[in-house]
Formats: sequence, structure tokens, C-alpha cells
Amino acid sequence: MNELLLQGLVNGIVVGLIYALIGVSLNVIFGVLRVVNFAHGEFIVLGAYGAYFAQAWLGLSPLLAMPLIFIVFGMMGYGLYFVLVKRLARSNDPEHASLLVMFGLSLVLGALMLLAFEADARSLNFTLDPPFLMFGNIILPTTKLLGLAVAVVVTGALAFFLYRTLPGKALRAIIMNRDAIQIVGVDLNHLSALTFGLGLGLAGITGILVSMIFPSFSPFIGQDYTLIGFIVIVLGGLGHPIGAVAGGILFGLAEQTAMVFFSGTVAMLLGFVLLIAVILIRPAGLFGVQNSR
Amino acid sequence: MPMSAPQGNTEKSSHIKFLIWGIVVAAIVAVFLPAPLFASNLSFLFYMMLWITMATSFNFVAGLAGYMPFGYVAFYGIGAYATGVLYKTFGLPIPVALAGAALAGVTIGLLVAPTLRLKGVYFGIVSLALAMAMKLVISLMPSDITGGSLGLILSAANDPVAAYYAMFVVLMGALAAGTWLTMSRLGTALRAIRDDSEAAEVVGVNVVGTRLKAWIMATMFPALVGGVEAWYTNAIDLDSSFNLLVTAKSIVYAMAGGLGFLVGPIIGASTLYGIDQLIWRHFPTLNLLILGVVIIALMLLLPRGIVGAFAQRFSRFRRFIP
Repeated sequence: MNELLLQGLVNGIVVGLIYALIGVSLNVIFGVLRVVNFAHGEFIVLGAYGAYFAQAWLGLSPLLAMPLIFIVFGMMGYGLYFVLVKRLARSNDPEHASLLVMFGLSLVLGALMLLAFEADARSLNFTLDPPFLMFGNIILPTTKLLGLAVAVVVTGALAFFLYRTLPGKALRAIIMNRDAIQIVGVDLNHLSALTFGLGLGLAGITGILVSMIFPSFSPFIGQDYTLIGFIVIVLGGLGHPIGAVAGGILFGLAEQTAMVFFSGTVAMLLGFVLLIAVILIRPAGLFGVQNSR
Repeated sequence: MPMSAPQGNTEKSSHIKFLIWGIVVAAIVAVFLPAPLFASNLSFLFYMMLWITMATSFNFVAGLAGYMPFGYVAFYGIGAYATGVLYKTFGLPIPVALAGAALAGVTIGLLVAPTLRLKGVYFGIVSLALAMAMKLVISLMPSDITGGSLGLILSAANDPVAAYYAMFVVLMGALAAGTWLTMSRLGTALRAIRDDSEAAEVVGVNVVGTRLKAWIMATMFPALVGGVEAWYTNAIDLDSSFNLLVTAKSIVYAMAGGLGFLVGPIIGASTLYGIDQLIWRHFPTLNLLILGVVIIALMLLLPRGIVGAFAQRFSRFRRFIP
């Protein structure tokens, strides 16, 4: 097999797991709240800045910054739910209203980051010893391996939470039937706010991984991550948390392979074409079983 | 709801509504038609017309048909590029190039028309993805056609006053299309579909055909606007032609005025663009921040816009508002 292709596939799995995390957190929020978080990419970039400043000011390594950022972002999400999301449920057309509010939030966050951090791209000063491992002719930077491990652990923890714990089961129950869950005495507001917090906390962690694995980040790239997230959740099925993992890896592999043979532009175009084709042909997503329309 | 109006008054109220609309259009003509003779700041008025047209035409799909096309900017960008390529690469005169832009917009609109069967967020996401894909496709085209990363410069066509009047004609066209889409039987059909498409189908409304008419109008005008703007500024490049802010501003201006009303986008665009200009000149970065804050505040505090809030507060006048 072609070595370049093999390298592309390996990169695809690493990048794909990051994409999966973006999709999982978007889908948790969409599934429970029916809110498409247009500002997700901006929260991811904010997480990357969080890792940067945790290192610059507190001397924390990105790994140690993770729980801190998860908690800070989680609390931010819990509060934002009551400020922004809760009121939307009363509007005439909650889906469109939520799209627009989150779109507005993404502009606000992008502009605030531009004002606070300025336009230059930054990168995290983070290396491990040894800097990379060789498998035959395949080069694997150790930071990427570490990122991969973290992504696997976080996804596994989330799956455990969703399928094995009571709050996680309640959360999945909301996705399945919003009305019935209120009858059995679940505090919908509290749980919804926790979900938004969980989604943003995961976005923050994803941001740290982004800062470790991708060469740089800037206030402008949030939109790109949001779009990647959209592609991933559509591939995996809207509102289907674990489907997004498959969608993310699939898109990561497709993108990185396309980069080997063509260019980054073609890779991105491929993503959009995949998204449009899947929505038109199979709106429940490639792996979705439930009717999420 | 206008349904509560007594039957005998319906005709009278629609006459008054039409009269008010006539006065609004006459006022717009009176402001913009003679302006180049007096105004020192032509650019301000040019962009005011541009945003009124963009918001009005956005209203055709968002307010009248109930879709939220986040990729609206794609038609604007296609119009700009079609004009540039036809003029510069193929050497056609500007009016022909602009007609080509309109045709390109409508053609792409028809190609993506199958997405109209998607609802809510699905439509929004696909529309956005299509706009991004369109931008990437143009960037992959050979640079001797589209100018590559440098874009196209149309300095030979420079004629700001002619471009100003071209925008005026496009604006009038958009207002005429709005009149057609709201005040004819088509308007009744569109409202019925937006409120309950299944019920409308049952009573014999041609759902697909009616939506398509609104959609074609909503794809043609941004393409024309993009083309005229390219002519006015003499420059086309990918990042400004496919800038998502074009969608954002169209949404904000249309919503601030009030979706679903003909006068909504006009009031929203002229007020907010005026304010925007006062701020933009001094603080370019803040512009983006304020745009975002305005979207959030509008959705949370004034979701029906200025005109919509007025119509709700004084509901007996609602049937007179065009």
C-alpha cells in the first residue's frame, strides 16, 4: 500500500476523533434542546485560547487544564442556558429562533476574541519527549497520539455517562420523548441547563485537543469548526450522540485521504458534498435509526 | 389575525393597504431617484438601496415561505462572479453581463430547489453548506477565468452613477416582485403554505409551484445585487463575495423591520444600515460585535421586528399594513 495513503489514513483517524468529539457535543445539545449551536466552533476556539493562557499564566500543561476548562465552560453553559436558550422555547418558531440566536452568539464571540486576543494565529508550545514515533515509514507525533488517547477516553466516559448513569439515561430519554420524561418527574430545566453545560464543557476540551494537534488557531477559524461539526452530525444522524463518533471518523478519513491526493480545498468540498448528499438521500444520517426529522 | 375582519371590510382594507404601500414606494422613489443630483455621499445611498433589496428579497423566502437560507450569500456571490466573468473574460457589455448574473442566480436556485423539501434546521444547514461549496468550486476554477485568489478588477467599466441607477432599477424590481408575491392570490397561497402546508395542499394550493415562484425571486435579486455591486466597486474577490456577513445583515435587517411584511425589510434596512454606518466608520471591529448583539437582542426581545410588534400592539391596524 502507498505510504502516503497510509499516513493519510492514520492522520484521518486522529483528526476524525477530534471531529467526532465536535459532533458528539453538538449532537448532545441538539438532541436534548433542539438547538443547533451555530456558535460551537467559537467555543472550541475559546477552549484553545483557554489552554494557551492556562499554560502562559498558570503554567498548567494542556492535560491539567482540561478539567479546569471543562468546569469553567460547563458553568458558562449552565448560565447561558437560562439567559439565551430557555426563552427560545416560548417563541413561535423555536428551531429558527435558536439558529438565529446562536448565529448571533457566534458573531459576538468571534468579535470578542478578535478584540481580546487580536488577529494573529497562535500555537501552543507543547511537545513531548520523544517528539514522534516511527512505525515503518509512518510518522506519528506523540502529541497526536496523546490527543488520540484523550479523545478516546473522553468519548468513552461520555458513552458511560449516557448509557450507564441515571442522569445520562434521563438525558437520552429527553432525546427520545420530551413530553413523557416530565411525567416521570424529571426537572427538565435543570437537566437541559446541565446538558448545555456538558456540551460546552466538551467543546472546551475539544478546543484544547485542537490546540495540541493542529498547528495554530485564531479568532476567525471558529466557523470552520462549526461547519465541520455540521457535516459530522449530519453524517452520523442529527441528535444521535454516538452516531457522531462514526460520522467524525468517516469524515476525518475522507478529508485526510482527499488531502493526500488532491488539496485541502477539495477535501473541504468533499465534506460539503457528502453533507448535502446525505441530507437529501438519507436525512436520518448514515447510522441513525430513529426518526430525527 | 386578519381573519377576524368582517367580510365587507376586507376589500376596503386591502385598498387602504395598497394605498399605503403606494405611498411608501413613492417616497422611496422620491428619495433615491434624484439623489445623484444633490447628494455628496452617493455610496451611502447606493448601499442603502442594496440592503433594502437584499432584505426585501430575503423576506420572500424567510417571511413569506418560512425558510431560513443561511447560504443566501451564495446567490450574491454567484451574481458578482457571473457579472465579472461575462464582462472581463468574455468581453460582454455590462447590461448583458448583469442579465447573465440574474440567469446564473436563478439557474443555481433551480438546481438547489430540491432542498426546499427539507424543513427547519436541515434546510438551514444544507443552504449554508451549498454556499460554502459554491465558494470552493469557484476557487478551484482556472484563474484565467475567475481571477484566482486576486479576484477580478472591472476598472474599465467604472461608472458609479450608472451603477447607482442600475441598483435603483433592481430595487424597484424587488419591490414589484414583493407586491406580486404578497398582494395577489399567490400571496394568499404563500401564507397558507407557510402556516400549514398540508392544509393548504388539501384545499388545492399548488404547494411546490407556489414556493418555487418565491424561491426564484429570492435567488434572482441577490444575484443582480451582487452583479451591480461588483460594477459599482469594480472589484470582485472570493472572500467578500461569499462573506457570511452578507447573509447575516440581510437576516438582521429583514427581521428588525419585521418578516412577512413588505414594509418590514425597508424600515429595518434603512434604520439599521443608517446606524451601522454611524458606528462602522469609527469602530470597524465593533461592527461585528454589535451585529451579533442586535441579532440576539432582536430574537429575545422583539422577535417580530418593529412592524410586527406594532401590528401586534395595535392589532386593529394590522390589516392595513402592507
